Amino acid sequence: MTVSRRVLLATPALLLARRGHAQARFAGLEVKLGAIVPSSGPFAEWGRTNTVALRMVEEQINAAGGVGGARLSIAIYDDAARPAQAANLVRKLADDDKVLAIAGPLTSSACEVAFPVANQARLVACSQASSKPGTAAANRPWAFRNTIDESVLMKAALPWFKANYNADSVVIIYDAKDANSVALGSRIMPDMLKENGIRLLNEGALATFNTGDIDVSAQVTALKALNPAGVVLAADYSQAVTVLREMRRQGFVKPVIGGTPLISSAILRAAPEIPVVSSATYYAGQQGDKVRRFTETLQPRLRATAGLPPTIEPSMYDAHMVEIVGMYTDAVLRAGITLKPEDLAADREKLRAHLATLSGYEGLSGPIHFAETGDAVKNFFVVVGQNGQWGEKLRGCSTHGSLTC
Amino acid sequence: MLLQQLVNGLTLGAVYTLVALGFSLVMGVLGVLNLAVAELFMLGGYVGLSLILADYPVAVAIAGAALVTAVLGVVVEKVAYQPLRNAPPIAPLLSTLGFSVIFQTAATNIWGSDPLLMPPDLLDARYRVGSVSVGQAQLLVMATAVVLVAALALLMRHTRFGYGLRAIAENRDVARLLGVPAPLVTSGAFALSGALAGVAGVQIGLHYSAITPYVGVEVGLKAIAVMVVGGTTNIWGVLLAGPLLGVLEVMTVALGGAAFRDMTVYGLMILTLLVRPQGLLGRAGGAQRV
Repeated sequence: MTVSRRVLLATPALLLARRGHAQARFAGLEVKLGAIVPSSGPFAEWGRTNTVALRMVEEQINAAGGVGGARLSIAIYDDAARPAQAANLVRKLADDDKVLAIAGPLTSSACEVAFPVANQARLVACSQASSKPGTAAANRPWAFRNTIDESVLMKAALPWFKANYNADSVVIIYDAKDANSVALGSRIMPDMLKENGIRLLNEGALATFNTGDIDVSAQVTALKALNPAGVVLAADYSQAVTVLREMRRQGFVKPVIGGTPLISSAILRAAPEIPVVSSATYYAGQQGDKVRRFTETLQPRLRATAGLPPTIEPSMYDAHMVEIVGMYTDAVLRAGITLKPEDLAADREKLRAHLATLSGYEGLSGPIHFAETGDAVKNFFVVVGQNGQWGEKLRGCSTHGSLTC
Repeated sequence: MLLQQLVNGLTLGAVYTLVALGFSLVMGVLGVLNLAVAELFMLGGYVGLSLILADYPVAVAIAGAALVTAVLGVVVEKVAYQPLRNAPPIAPLLSTLGFSVIFQTAATNIWGSDPLLMPPDLLDARYRVGSVSVGQAQLLVMATAVVLVAALALLMRHTRFGYGLRAIAENRDVARLLGVPAPLVTSGAFALSGALAGVAGVQIGLHYSAITPYVGVEVGLKAIAVMVVGGTTNIWGVLLAGPLLGVLEVMTVALGGAAFRDMTVYGLMILTLLVRPQGLLGRAGGAQRV
């Protein structure tokens, strides 16, 4: 197989692989990683693109000589976004597959059940998407998330939303069956709105819907009657599309603000005239050499994959997945890991310790560290989706104590 | 706002009515709860929306979806119903459930799990009457529900196919002795049931401007509730029960919140089974069908 220089330079993981190739100290050994993604069920699109991204990294690293000469092998399993299934898979990856570390699960609901199992198994699990506040912190020291807490992101996005859309009053609608959406819609936002001097017009009667609902006409009619200046929409993009389409159908065109799960090209197509404010650590169309190479390398693979839409773009969670694999392989090279089967428990502990004190790892959008909460400290962007594209409006860092970008 | 919510409820009710028709035809006549109807409805939506996105007229999309789901309805009948016709009732129920899982998985693999979105400006016109606003797609869904219920009732009452179905419903063996081609008529019932579900899928895709592989479960269960409340032995029952449940659901969400929505809808279904098991328009014993 021919691998172009451009492809070889596509990811941070590959840079590590090239370094490792020169050392080749693990020749004949194998780096076994596990990944838990929802390849079926309501978040299947994210899970399937995650799988393509993981296979791409695996292929590129091995083509470049492996991790210090060791072959990279990623066991990818589908949890269908079901918490119990995710927990079972953590156990399987720990005991049967004997992996060094796990990337995933994706949803906060799955993480809440799977992280305690990872803790018990003394195996690092790093989520690519969970952003419900406190999910990793409740399961230290083995739980990590290469994401930023929604409340941290909203602290930057909400003042911008208020200032730029004169949003002095809003209503809240959220998906009552999604852990992250419940946290954002019912706990984070009401307090944060008060802190920012924004009136919550449906306080005490927040509008909700359930994952999978196709009809939200009653909720939107009720919200429209309150005549707010803006709407807080806490849902993942596949559910948010239903709300945005209904808002458009009822002529309720108001600026919308929501969490990271809104970042998707589907949101841009749902109601192009409604501005949607959200936060991201990566978005397709983001500028910068490294991130552009990542997009240009992954996007054609996604579009050539059966079962994925021909217009699909890499998601933020694909970027996070690639970074997680990069951090793990970085640890293999730098943390004194032996890769010997008899040292597996010790290697897992070394990898955990390495992540906990991670320093100088360059992700796609800048340096990544982990706070003691297990959440990533990294760059983020406040973006607005409107008229078919995401535009960057503000840049920040999820600074935690002395850790900053 | 109350009037607007009433319109929302009637539209949702029309959606349920359309899907309930597909269930009701096979359940009322053959006594089989064909759970695959819910996913045929979803597949109809995908086929129809795919044709619309490929620039075919809406009428062609509806016809195409009806044709595909009618054929799939016959496949379900041949594989999941006919071989198990004399088995305990749970057997065909489970085999049609198996088909529904297969259909959902197939849709996810073909179209992905993301919502398939319609062009936002299709059937986008809105009409205002006082404080109430009604969309073109809403009117289409409501009109289609009324027309299809009436057409199906006429078909059952005044055609040889309808006579045949009703005869089979009474006694399959006697019907055969009287010259009713039972296998053909049964296949026709499954095909018609599938076609109705397919038409419903396109209508709902047009109304909500999107369809997902998981829409069948949500709407299908509500449609079963509509069928039970309306009465499985009377096609007109779904036209009464659909809007009733639609309005009940919307008013529950508007006044009490989405958390109570399913409680009221399925609560009414349980109440109906306890108090009037034949449904609002059904006859006790189910001797007279359609």
